[in-house]
This record gives sequence, structure tokens and C-alpha cells, in this order.
Amino acid sequence: MNNETGVRRLRVGVDTGGTFTDFVILDEERGTLDVFKVPSTRPDQADGIIGGLAEFLASSGDSASAVTFFCHGTTVGTNAILEGNGARTGLVVTEGFRGVYEVGEQARGAGSIIYDLFFDKPPRLVPGRLTEEVRERVGSAGEVLLDLDEESVRKAIRQLVRHGVESVAVCFLFSFKHPEHEEEVRRLFKEIAPNMNVSISSEIAPEIREYYRMSTTVVNAYLNPLLELYVKSLDDRLRQLGVGTDQRYIIRSNGGVASFDTARGRSVQTILSGPAAGVVTAQHVAESTDLANLVTFDMGGTSTDVALVKEGEAVRRMGGKVHNLDVLVPMLDIHTVAAGGGTIAWVDEMGALQVGPRSAGSDPGPACYGKGGTEPTVTDANVVLGVLSVAQPLAGGALELDRQAAERVISERIAKPLGLSVTAAARGIVEIVNVKMQEAIKVVSSNRGYDLRDFYLFAFGGAGPLHASQIAEEMGMKGVVIPPYPGVTSALGLLLSDVRHDYVFADLKDLDEVKPSYVASVLSKLRGDGMRQLEEEGFAPNRCHFVWGVDLRYIGQGYQLTVPLPDIPKAIEDLHQLRRRFDEAHLQLTGHFAPEERVEVVNYRVTAIASVPRAPLAVPLPEDASLELAHVGDTEVFFQDAMEKVPMYQRSRLAAGMEVAGPAIIIQNDSTTVLGPGQAGVVDGWGYLRVESRR
Amino acid sequence: MPLDPITAQVIQNRLSGIVQEMQTNIFRTGYSTIVRESQDASCMILDANGDVVGEHVILPLHIAALPEVIRAIYKAYGDRIYPGDAFITNHPYISGVTHSIDMAVAVPVFVGEKLVAFCTSIAHKSDLGGMVPGTGSGNARELFQEGIQYPPVKFTDRGQVIPEVEAILRANSRTPDVILGDIRGQVGTARLGEERLLDMVSRYGLETVLETFADLQDKTEKRVRRVVSGWKDGVFEAEAWVDNDGIQLDRPILYHVRIEKTGDRIMFDFSESADQTLGPLNVRPPLVRGCCYYAMVAMIDPELPNNGGLARVVETRFRRGSVLDPLFPAPTNTYMASATAVTEAVLQAMNGLIPKKKVAGMGGVGGMVIGGQRHDGSSYVQYELIGAAYGARSGKDGASGVSVLLDNAKTAPIEVIETEFPARVRRFELITDSGGAGEYRGGLAARREYDILAPKAQLTLRGGKHTQPPFGTDGGKPGRLGVCIINPGQENEQSLPSRFGGVVLQKGDVLLLEKAGGGGLGPPKERNWDALVEDVLDGYVSFEAAVSDYGADPDRLREILFDWTGGE
Repeated sequence: MNNETGVRRLRVGVDTGGTFTDFVILDEERGTLDVFKVPSTRPDQADGIIGGLAEFLASSGDSASAVTFFCHGTTVGTNAILEGNGARTGLVVTEGFRGVYEVGEQARGAGSIIYDLFFDKPPRLVPGRLTEEVRERVGSAGEVLLDLDEESVRKAIRQLVRHGVESVAVCFLFSFKHPEHEEEVRRLFKEIAPNMNVSISSEIAPEIREYYRMSTTVVNAYLNPLLELYVKSLDDRLRQLGVGTDQRYIIRSNGGVASFDTARGRSVQTILSGPAAGVVTAQHVAESTDLANLVTFDMGGTSTDVALVKEGEAVRRMGGKVHNLDVLVPMLDIHTVAAGGGTIAWVDEMGALQVGPRSAGSDPGPACYGKGGTEPTVTDANVVLGVLSVAQPLAGGALELDRQAAERVISERIAKPLGLSVTAAARGIVEIVNVKMQEAIKVVSSNRGYDLRDFYLFAFGGAGPLHASQIAEEMGMKGVVIPPYPGVTSALGLLLSDVRHDYVFADLKDLDEVKPSYVASVLSKLRGDGMRQLEEEGFAPNRCHFVWGVDLRYIGQGYQLTVPLPDIPKAIEDLHQLRRRFDEAHLQLTGHFAPEERVEVVNYRVTAIASVPRAPLAVPLPEDASLELAHVGDTEVFFQDAMEKVPMYQRSRLAAGMEVAGPAIIIQNDSTTVLGPGQAGVVDGWGYLRVESRR
Repeated sequence: MPLDPITAQVIQNRLSGIVQEMQTNIFRTGYSTIVRESQDASCMILDANGDVVGEHVILPLHIAALPEVIRAIYKAYGDRIYPGDAFITNHPYISGVTHSIDMAVAVPVFVGEKLVAFCTSIAHKSDLGGMVPGTGSGNARELFQEGIQYPPVKFTDRGQVIPEVEAILRANSRTPDVILGDIRGQVGTARLGEERLLDMVSRYGLETVLETFADLQDKTEKRVRRVVSGWKDGVFEAEAWVDNDGIQLDRPILYHVRIEKTGDRIMFDFSESADQTLGPLNVRPPLVRGCCYYAMVAMIDPELPNNGGLARVVETRFRRGSVLDPLFPAPTNTYMASATAVTEAVLQAMNGLIPKKKVAGMGGVGGMVIGGQRHDGSSYVQYELIGAAYGARSGKDGASGVSVLLDNAKTAPIEVIETEFPARVRRFELITDSGGAGEYRGGLAARREYDILAPKAQLTLRGGKHTQPPFGTDGGKPGRLGVCIINPGQENEQSLPSRFGGVVLQKGDVLLLEKAGGGGLGPPKERNWDALVEDVLDGYVSFEAAVSDYGADPDRLREILFDWTGGE
């Protein structure tokens, strides 16, 4: 039913991945969702988005003006990093300090890399020849030791322009304490080279530790021109299509969304845009249901992303490595492992079965896709084991699976060399990839002090539900949760996300020397910055709220913890309270604390949040249903020792409260869920399938 | 029933997962900044024989020490090893520990009555007594000056902490709370490993797990022997030098290796290395074997598991009383410089076996310590490890400004140094022309220059390659030497050697530290023209060196430079 005017109000979430662009479209009045996928397009991802949206509108009969909200998850930044085709970028540094970027962390990491005589550092995004030094120096208290020498800046600008640089990062020592020199350089760029895209470190990552701040600023400069071009193209074409709403957003690495305008100058904050939305969905589920503790498990074709949601809150970190680059911006704590359905299995020279790290990708893809793939993949193993049924092709009928091809490659490449049956070899491939998944899950959970027995595995992505029930059972987790639309769970997160901006002010000082009034004034200023930003984006003050925090550490320690402040900073009468909370947080995270040691403040943080109306979590479920109606046939599946007949159920015909006993296969358009022997799946009131062990 | 290949592979993956979980846990729960921030700690799982079956490398030499630790525990305790025990030891001679400031912890894992494995770790401690805070003194002349020595002793006996041992530990450290906190963290980490290992045993069965332990090592041995067989037979020698032992400053120390390769056997003979040193440069044979393991893994395949199977292949010979097999109680606390030199010599000798994996000399490793008083009278210790460089590799330039070989330290942020210490950094940059010229250029080392702002401070350097340059190979030039100069270019300029302790610095002094660059590979004149031009534009090679060392046409190069800068 349309409303009085006859025009629907549609909220659109679009998540662009490597293979597919996923759409989730919410009818605001009726609360119904349309979900679909179209192939992703290169080089311009906007083609697929505009094409898919136009097609939808044409078939639904809605006008483009019906779109009231548009939110997007993009891989433009990630792809530019992986393919090395970001902007030609220059760097401006304090005279005498070009080594900061060239040396970087200096250490190599851990594992086999330590033995690698042919080791190379990850390539720097700016070569030495595009690095310019200018005369200036600020001291550790923010005091100017050497004035900015304008002539040396002008010369640097002339050189960078001459070298065809499109984008520049500016990073001076202690600029987070004294941003004026960097700002002056930006002003001079505007004067001399007005088209230059300029990123300054005191704005992009105003925190202590020059290399990390510099690297973050360089990544920002490297991505900015591309992202700006992309966002502008998308913006223009949405308008041409007739989508007039100003509520156009991009999801960022911190799981919050930002307006097109805000997102494009801070491109470094969008590098985890792709995987962030799925975690937001999980967080929303954890907030809204009794499933408060979740580990997300987004298994796709070539990689798998895992993250942790504890008591309704996704775990975040204040920086880290993304695609081997050091970035110092708040982000969801997402761990990616390079294994998925397309990962290739092989036998090594010592006769051991290996899975990965190479992947068949989507082209040619697994052998069973029949597109010329000649190497056995995890997907092929699932076909041989019968869990991926030939009768139930992937991705809404886009592919017909070739079982013979899957059997052939596993037989020739794995089973024969190892002297195993084809099913045993296939089972082995799945076992090994599952162990890799378990190790990835441990990285975000037990390795960080969380007990997996308190968590459900929230499985989505094309391959997540296929593997989840076995993985969760082996790890002793509570169970598995499969959302209603596993294939578009990420896109759904785009309709669940708040607008979120993070602000930080770095000022290293002994906590005993910090006055509460100072803390209050710093946090108020950051709050003011956030309020202004949100107002500019059109949010009324009553829809905005703020989260405060202070980063503290024991003096001499290298890492800090963010201690949240429950109230507005005016209420900080007693900093000892803060101190106590830090000790407690330290104890919880590391198992020890040192109440007698001195503590120092590293950073002040404010997150400004504006809430946007969210998509409803519950999906409509059939009222008139029975297991018999849902039982659409049987199939042969190999679990332990032999192929056995197991029932197949249609997910959309399962009603709330219905229980499916394993072993069973539950099929739906965009994914297949496996229930192992001894497991049972129950559809809850929201339409989420919960799988638990009944043993 | 023979072990099925899939179960073996699954167990192997789980084993490495357990070690990684232990590793994360030790860093997370570590108390001292050394463990938490510098991550100077390694965890490992060994079988009941004391052979490594699970490892995740951060510091490769720890792998060689732990089997010796287990042997020492057996020797000391025989069958008096019980479930719930935890052993500690830091003794370089009795237990083969790296140096006495590293504490090894080992927890036996029992299934029923049967001892099946040890979960272990080695972690650097903040202080275990000795001549100076931090225990390791470059001036130590015997082991007893390098802190208190613990042979293998029980820290817990059948689950009960032994208060006497804690009391002794406490009484012999300048930082008793920190070291006890760390040791408890190590024991907790080993227990975590034990728990995970027992889970694995209950799932796959003890027999299967033990078979996998054996199988992992057999596979590695088989693979290594097969690779070794493919190398030509013969004798290959190489040597490396360390500038001095920190006490006799004008006497370079020789490290010599003679590799004898016959069939699938390989012997590393170190007998011709220098006599043991007065200063603490000595290193014990188990660690020298660790250097051989390192070189073998590096040459064969960085992914090769460094386990007991590899150890079976590596045969070694030492001369008693040499720097590589010192007589008790010769001091060992600055062994790292020796270990690095040994590793370089071994790699170089192995180039005779595997000519296509050549590596020229590495830049200088080692740290710098400035200790002193701030203006308010509080004392500080500023400890820094500054980046060296890889030598050029076959087909590839050396990496610049990076930790090399056995070392893996992070750089200290300038903003943190200046905030916490009375020092100001004047410059931090890669040193132009420090990479040895060659068809493939050596990596560039870094330069740091400081203003000393403290009223008074003492400087200690544990560097290298100020007199013994990183070698070039196949016609490549050596890397540039390192230097340490106080007040460069001024009247009171003072040039210092690479290894010394306790030089006094005054407020207003300038300290210049330059590490040695990596050696070059192949004749410089063969260098690709575009690569040379890029080096000049990037500031890695000077115009002058491009002309004199690489034979660049000066006019052509000048023209390119002029075009690049527009003559500015």
C-alpha cells in the first residue's frame, strides 16, 4: 500500500564487492525489504550501482524521487591500494626528517618473513624524489623552535607541481601540538597550486608518533583524488537519475556513516568501508535481541572477515595495519584471512595437503563453475561432499554447478596423489580450511581475552553458513546465527548505521598534572567541532549525542587504553575516578594492573553520533507453515564416513519457532546452511536461524 | 594404523595456532615494557625429547636454546618431573640460555602418567642483578658479573609455588615485582598451551598426536636431506668480523666457518674462529647451531618449519676455548653481535652451495643507550635500536632502514623520545651513498643526530661495522662504515668505536650516529640506467658517486637532474 500521496519512501543500501553489488531497499511505510544482486562493474563501480537501481525502479514502478536515503559501502579505496593505482602523491616533511617515512617501523613482523633474505618492505606510496623538506621545527611542548620558512615551502610547492603530483601529504614533527605550520603550507598550496589536493597530518590523524601519523596522511592523500572523483560521479549520476535526497552516505571503517562531502576529504577512513557494514548488522542484532555476544564470520570467495561484538558493541581499535599500510584512524577491529570458497587446495612436495593461499577468484573460479577452472577449490570440495547441491545453484540462478568437474579435479590433484577416496580428500580440504577459519576467529576472540563459550558465530556472505555450524561446534561456541539474507547482510548494515565522526586531541601529560577544568575544555572543544559538523550535515541537535573518552597509559608503557567517560566532561570533578577505571580496564584486558604506578594522558577523544532511522530487524515470516511444506527434497551428503541421505528445507518456508533437526541442508536464494548431525536449527521471532548442538 | 595426511596437517595447523595464542598471551599479560612493547619473548612447544615441534618465530635464536633447557631439566631432575611443575632457568652454560637476562620457563605436559611435551618460553627480563641496571654490562669479564645464575629449578612443584624460589628471585633483582610478574605471566602462558594441547589430545588421541610430532620432524628432516643432496659436494669457507669485544677496542674478532657437504650431510666447522674474548661477546654452541638453522631455513625456504628434524641434519664442530665455545665462566651478555657475524659467515659460505641466492654483507646491527639525570634529578634510560640495511641480493637491491637477520627491533618514535627524555633529534634520514655500489645496490642505513639536553649523561654503544665494512660480492662494493661522533665538525669532535660503555656526554653536546649500509652485488657499471637515475633522484646515490662508482655519463645525468628540478 502506498501512502496518501501514492509515492513510496525508499531507503537504499548498496554494498559493492569484488564480484557482486548487493542492494537492500527498504519501504519505510510498509517495512518491507527488497534484496538483490547485480554484477559489480570496473573501472567505475558507479555503473553497476546506477544500473541496478534504475532497473529496480523501472520494475517496481517507483520514481527516483521516492529514494529518501542512500547509503553505500565501497571498495574503491581498498582496490586502489591493492592495485597500486592511487594518485601520484607528494610528501612535505620537516627538514632533516625524510627518514621517518622511509624507515617506517623498522621491524619486519613475525613468522617466516624473519627468515626471508629476499624480504622487502611494503612499498612506500611516495618515493624519495617526491618528498620535499621545508625548514621549520616545533618542540615537544608545541613551542616553535624554528619558524616556518616560507621560501622553502614555495620552492617545495614549485617542485611538486613540476613533478606532476596530484595530491600532497604534509606532516611535520609535533604538528598535533602546533598545527599552524601545516595549515600555513596548505594555504600556500591554495595560493600557488589551487587544484592540488592537500592532506595535513594535524587534521587527518592528530596523534603522537610521527611515522604512523605520516603514513596515515600519505594514505589519505594517495586515495583522496580517486575517491573524490568516484563520489562526484556517483553523486552526479544519482541526481541525473532523479535521486534528489541530500541523505547520501558512505560507510567508513569505524562502522559509522558520513555524508558524501565529509567522506571524500578523509578517504583514509573508508578503507574498511566494504567489510564494516556486515559488522554493523551484527552489532544491531546484538543490541536488539538476546544475542548480545557475536563473532561475525563473513566468508566470501577469496577472503573471510571476522570481528567481535561484545554486549551489543562492536570492538574497535584506534589504528593498525590495513593491507600492510599503517593507518592511525579509529576502525572496527576486523581481521581478514585470505581464504574463502575459491581458495585452491594442492599437495606440496612433502605429500601434505595444503589449502591456499592462492585463490581461483571468480574468474575462472572453482572447477564446478564450468568456466575453465582446473584447480580444486573449497567450493569444489563442498560440491563433492553434497552440501552445495547442483540443484540449488549459487547467487540466484546465475551459475549451474558441474559436479563431475569438481570430482575430476579433486580426484586428479588431491585424492590420487594422497591415496585417498575423492570424498575423503574433499572432506580433508574442508577440514583444513575450517581450521584456518578457527585460527582467524581466535585472533579477534580468545587471543584478546574473550571466552568463545559466550559467543554465537554470526555467519553470512556466500560461504559463511556452509562452514559455520562445524566451526562453531568445534570451538565450543554457543551456536550459530544465520541472518535472513546471508548474501546481503553487509548491505543491510548500511540501513542500520549511525552517522559517526571521531575527534582526537593529543596532549601527553602526567594525569596528576592535568586539571579537570582542562579536560572539560578540551572535550568541549572537540564536542563543538562534532556538533558543527553534524549541523552542517543537517542534523537537529536532538538527534545527536556524544561519547567521550580519554586515552591513558602507565608512564613508560607503549600502548594506551581508551577509558570512556560516562558523563559530560563538566561532571569530572575527580580525576582519580578516571584513574581507577583505567586500572580496572587494564586488569580486565591484560590480567594485571599497577595502582601504584603513575599514569599519563595520551589523547582526548570525542565521538559525535547522529542517529538515522533504521531498517527493522525482523523479517516477515510465513504464518501458515509446516516442516513438511518446507521440506523440498532430499540430497546425499558426506558428513563422517559415508554419503547419507539428508533432508533439504526451503528457508523462506520456515516459520518462527520451527525446529529443523540435523543433519539437514537449508537452502535459500543467496546461501546454503548446513546443519551437522546432532545439531538443530530454530527460527527465532526475528527470522534469524539459530543453530545449536543438541548433544 | 598409519597417520592419515589430513589429520597430520590439521594437527600441524592447530599446533602453530596454539603457539601463536601463547605468543599473544605472553605479550598481553607481560608486565615489563620489554616483554609488552619490544616483544622480546618467544613461545615454543617441544616433544618429550626436547625437540621443537611448534614455533612461531619472532626471535629465531630462542629456538636453539629451548632444547638445551629441556635437556638440562632432565639432567637435574631425572624422573622427578611431575604434572603441575614449572621450571625456570637463565644459565647460558648449564641450560644453553641465550644470555642470563633471558629467563626460560618450561612446563611439562602429562597425559595420565606419561610426559608427552613441554610448553615453554624465553623472555627478556628487566633486571636480574649484576653490575648495572638491566644486568647486561659491556664491561663484564665473567658470567658472575652478568646477574644471578639460575640452573634449572622448580618455580612451582606439583602446582604449588615454591616461596623460597620466589624469595631468591626477589632478593636478586632491582625490579622484583616486575620480574615476578613476568615469570608468572610466562608460567600462565605455558599452562594455556598445556590446556590447548590436552584438548587436542582428547580430540585426536594421544597416539595420533605423538605420531604427528614425530612425523613433522621426519618430514622436515627428509625434505632438508633431499635438498642438501641436490647441492654439490665440497668444502666452502667464509669469515666475518666484529669490530672489537667492547674491552680491547683495537682488536677485531674473527668468526670462521668451514662447511663440508657430502651427500645428504652437512657439517659446519667453527674451529678456526677466534679465541674466547675478555669482554662479553662470547656465544655458546647451541646458539651458534641456531644461527645455522636460521641460515638453512633462509636458504632452503622461509616457510620450512624450524623444528627438531632440521636440527638432526645440522652437524657442527667447535673448538673449546673459542669465542663460539667459551669456557665457563666467560661472559656472554652481548652475544648478539657474534651471532649476527656467525650467521653472515654461514650464509656467505652457503653461497658456494646455492650460488643463486647470494646476499652481500648486512648493515651494522646493535643498540644505543643514553642514561642520565633529568633537570629535576630523576634518572632516565633512553634505549634505541636504529635501523640497518640488507645487503644486495641476487637480482634485487638491499632493503633500507630495517632490522636484519636475527634482529627484529622497532624504531623509537622521535616524538616519544623528545617527550620523555632530555634529548632533541636533529635529523633522521637514510644516508646517501651508504649502500654499497653494485649492479644491485646495498640497502641504505639510517642516520640519527641528537642534541643532548640533560645536564649529564652516559653513552653506551653496542654497534658494529665501524671498522669492518659489510662486504660487497661478485664485484659489488662494500657498504659504507658506521660512525659515532660527538660534536662533529667542532673543535672538540670525538670519534668513538662501535662498542664501548660509559662515555660521558654534557649538555649541549651533539651526538651523531650513522649505521653501516649493506654491501653491493655485481659490478656497479652493470646497474640498470633507470634504476640508477631513480636512486639519484631519490637521494639514495649522489651525483658524484653515480659518476665515479657507477660510471654514469656526467653530462647525461646532469641534464636529467636539470630537467627534474627545472634548475632549481
